[in-house]
Parts: sequence; structure tokens; C-alpha cells
Amino acid sequence: MAEWTECMNFGITIARQASKVILEAFRAKKDVMLKSSPADLVTETDQRVEKMLISRIRERYPTHKFIGEESVAAGEKLELTDSPTWIIDPIDGTVNFVHRFPFVAISIAFAVNKQTEFGIVYSCVEDKMYRAQRGGGAFVNDVPLHTSGQEDITKSLVVTEIGAERDCLALCTMTTNIMNLLAIPIQGIRAVGTAAVDMVLVATGGADAYYHIGMHCWDIAASALIVTEAGGVVLDTDGSEFDMMSRKVIAASSMPVAKRIAQVVRAFPCTRDDEDPARVNNGGHCISSGL
Amino acid sequence: MPDLWQEAMDHAVVLARKSGEIVREALQNEMKVMCKSSSVDLVTKTDQKVEQLIIASVKDKFPTHSFIGEESVAAGQPCILSDNPTWIVDPVDGTTNFVHGYPFIAISIGFAADKQLEFGVVYSCLEDKMYTARKGKGAFCNGQPLQVSDQTDINQSIIATEFGSNRDPEVVDKIFSSMRKVLCLPIHGMRGAGTAATNMCLVAAGSAEAYYEIGIHCWDIAAGAVIVSEAGGVLMDVGGGPLDMMSRRVVAANNKTIAQRLIKEIEAYPATRDDAPIDSKE
Repeated sequence: MAEWTECMNFGITIARQASKVILEAFRAKKDVMLKSSPADLVTETDQRVEKMLISRIRERYPTHKFIGEESVAAGEKLELTDSPTWIIDPIDGTVNFVHRFPFVAISIAFAVNKQTEFGIVYSCVEDKMYRAQRGGGAFVNDVPLHTSGQEDITKSLVVTEIGAERDCLALCTMTTNIMNLLAIPIQGIRAVGTAAVDMVLVATGGADAYYHIGMHCWDIAASALIVTEAGGVVLDTDGSEFDMMSRKVIAASSMPVAKRIAQVVRAFPCTRDDEDPARVNNGGHCISSGL
Repeated sequence: MPDLWQEAMDHAVVLARKSGEIVREALQNEMKVMCKSSSVDLVTKTDQKVEQLIIASVKDKFPTHSFIGEESVAAGQPCILSDNPTWIVDPVDGTTNFVHGYPFIAISIGFAADKQLEFGVVYSCLEDKMYTARKGKGAFCNGQPLQVSDQTDINQSIIATEFGSNRDPEVVDKIFSSMRKVLCLPIHGMRGAGTAATNMCLVAAGSAEAYYEIGIHCWDIAAGAVIVSEAGGVLMDVGGGPLDMMSRRVVAANNKTIAQRLIKEIEAYPATRDDAPIDSKE
């Protein structure tokens, strides 16, 4: 819809502004805090970038709503209404950011009437601006994107992550999923450490599928639209319709590949993003480890 | 005192860049894919074309030098490292990535004399990152010095590894068992770029604390070993001893503390040495 193009262009502008903050901090030492597990990290830069994005959007669009990773962590209610809503991950790939592993993305999605109207994923160390508007195709640095179209699972390259959970059930589920996919066989498994970038690699055609369990709506809302606008499909890991709040996703080059992955992959229990916020894991203890 | 091998290294950089152009061009066109040892161990015409370009050029400029190249060995050449100056080459490290257009594809050129690694060049051609290291002179990426991470706490580490192309169920079991043990240390995360050379350069750059794998070949790691070492890192065998380039096993880490802690969790399995007699190989 043309009426949201202006919002999207504004989103691109502020993503670039935010990237300057991130890239400056990228090389520096960081104080790291833990959220839900010893592998679920947050830094002061995550928080600062999110505040900056929200305040600039609020200034321009005072009636719009927000779902932001760090706001939710700080206790804000996570609710997607019909109102125009910005769904933001200020730094997707915080572990990468802490380690200077060069895949760090700002992810900004925009939904109206609970439908995603545009998605922006800015992989800022690589300077790759991925974007898509509903019905308008997907692009990286203004070059059109197309998924690979691969329909044969045995010729597929699959991107996934182990995730931030370190409890036995989650880890065993995640590693068993990979083992079972490799046994099909598929051609390989890859991981760059950020859900947003993993998913847009499917949109580029460089990978044929991505799946994950345990990520949040802000990690994938933007990239899900980018994949579908590039000709791909997005499903729940059980093969049913994609649900942004379910904490599960398969994004693939084609329906046959998506469905085949759904046959193999098992999910461990995850509390939905839109359930009672008292249960959504919040940051707490600050364990400083300058890196 | 003039550096005996500087001219060879400069030539390696030129060859790596030229090869990178061939790879990028080939990505625009359809590639013929053939299978090597299994349906997941791929080779293409581009692998063979790039290796032939490098061999021909090296033979022309340095006619007395020896050569160990992935595709030449696949075609039946022996894989023996003598004292003679030897180029150890993987023309396309990350062939599966290349077939898919996944963004990590590296040309890896290592060089040894008297069985000692003297320099390494890894060109990550889609990222346009030229990694170089000359023994005793540091490691660089596009001219910028590289330094490994100073992390000594394994719980704060990123570890890179790969699942490889061996689908034997016993091997897969060991791979996953090692992986679970490493994850449960716990560590911050695991990554896999799909090419050994790139994974090693990520360690050299300080982005990951360590990389380990069983099943790679000498041509996958010869160049990366120099780059990691010159960036301040260490190379070891998965059993804890020094790196044996022909053993099919590698641990590349930022320091010995991280390497030794990681090694405790790795379950090794047998892999035929690169320098084993040809009739004993898989």
C-alpha cells in the first residue's frame, strides 16, 4: 500500500542512523548483561539504539504503537493490536555484536490490522539494506531478491541456529533436529548467528531454508515479509500457518521444502510472545564482562 | 636479508584475486555439479578450472616448486609433503556454498618449505576480503592487522565448527556428541560459515575464539594455520598435541587456555590421513 511507503522510507533512514551508533560501539569493549540464559546477552547499545529508534518514530508518528525487544524486557506489555505498530529488534545478533562477529542487524517491521506492511533488515557491518513492502517485492541495496525456487530437499542448504537456550530439553531438541535433517540428506547446515540475517539469506537464494524455535516476533517479523516477497514461503514448524507470536518458524524457497522440514523438525515448548508478560523472560542480573 | 618467499607470496595474492574473479563470474552462470565421495561432497568445473590456472601459473613462474591441490589429489596425484617448496591449494573452499551462492567462498593458498608453513593467503571472494600472513610478519585482512580475541573464559566464547560431508551414522553420532558437550559448557554460541579457511580467518580476526573440525584436508587449513598463528593464535591437534597438517584434524584457537578446554569435549573418530597410500583411502 502506497500510504506506508513513507513510513518505510523513514524506517530505512532511522535504521541507517542507528547503524552509526552500532558500528561505533562494534570495535569497543562492551559490558554484557545476561537475560534468560548464559547465552542470551544484552548490552547498553541494544537499549540505547531501541530508545533512539522509538523516540524518532514517536516524534514523527505519535499515534503509532511499538513492540521492541528491550522495552518488553523492561516490562512493557507485548501486544499486537490493529493499530499501526512498529516491531523492533535494535540489534539482532547481540552475541555477534559482543564478539565482533560481522553479522549484526537492525530489524524493523511494521504491521497494521495485524498484517505486516513492510520489513527492513539492515545488516550494518556488511552495509546490506534488505527491505520489502507487501505486494512490492523484496530488495537488497535496491537489487531485487528471489528465493532459489529449490523444491528438492536433498539439494537444499539449510540455515538454522542452536539458539540461546542451554537447558537439556531445548539443546537436545535443537541438535536432534539438525541430525535428522542431515540424515535425509540435505546438502548442509549453516549458521551466521542472527535470525534476521539467516532468513534474508533464504530471500537472496543463497540458502534454501531457515527454521528456528525459540526466537521472538521482533527477530523475524521483517524478514518473514522479505522472504515471501522474494517468492518464498513462511510456515510454523508443524507445517501450519505462520504465526509471528508462536516463537517458531520455517522460511523456505518453496512449499515442498518447507513441508519436508516440518515433517522432521520438532519444537520444544515455548511460551508465546503474546502471553502474560509476567512470564516473558526479562533481563535482571548484570554480569559485567568487558569484551 | 631478502625474504626468499616474498615473491611467491605476492604471486599467490595475484592468483587468489584472479581466481576470485573466475568464481564470481561463474556464479552468474549455471554450474555443472559433480559428486565426489558422497552426494554431499561436491565438486564443480570451476574448482577444476581454478586449480589448473594456479598450477599452470606456478609451474611457469616457479618451475622447481611442488604442488598439493585438492582436485589434483582427487584425480590421483599423491599427497606427500616433501622438503621441496610446496604450494598447498584449495581452489574453491566452500564448494557447497558456491553451488548455492551462499556468501562464503574462499580460495586458499598455503606454502611450505622444508615442511614448514611459510605463508598463507585466503581470499574470501564474495566479501572481497584478502587475508594474508607471512611467518614472522603478522596477519592482515585487506591490509589491516589481525589480532585474535583475548578471551580466556570458554563460557564467553563463540566456537566455529562444521558437520562435514561424512554421513556414516557412527561419525555423525560423535560429531553431535562433541557439539552438545561444547554447547553445555556453556558457550555463547556456535557458528558455521561452511568453509574451513573462512572459519579460521574468523578466529584470526577475533570474531570467534576457536574453530575445530575432523575430516578437513591439508589444503583446507594450510593457509589458515599461518594466518591464525600470525594473528597470535594457536594450532593444535584435537588430541592435544601439535597440529599435524595431514591428520585430517584441526583446532585453531585464540590461545592455549581456550584450545585445551575445548579439546576436553571433542570426541575424535578415525579419518584416513591425507598422506596415506592411495589404495588405503576412502
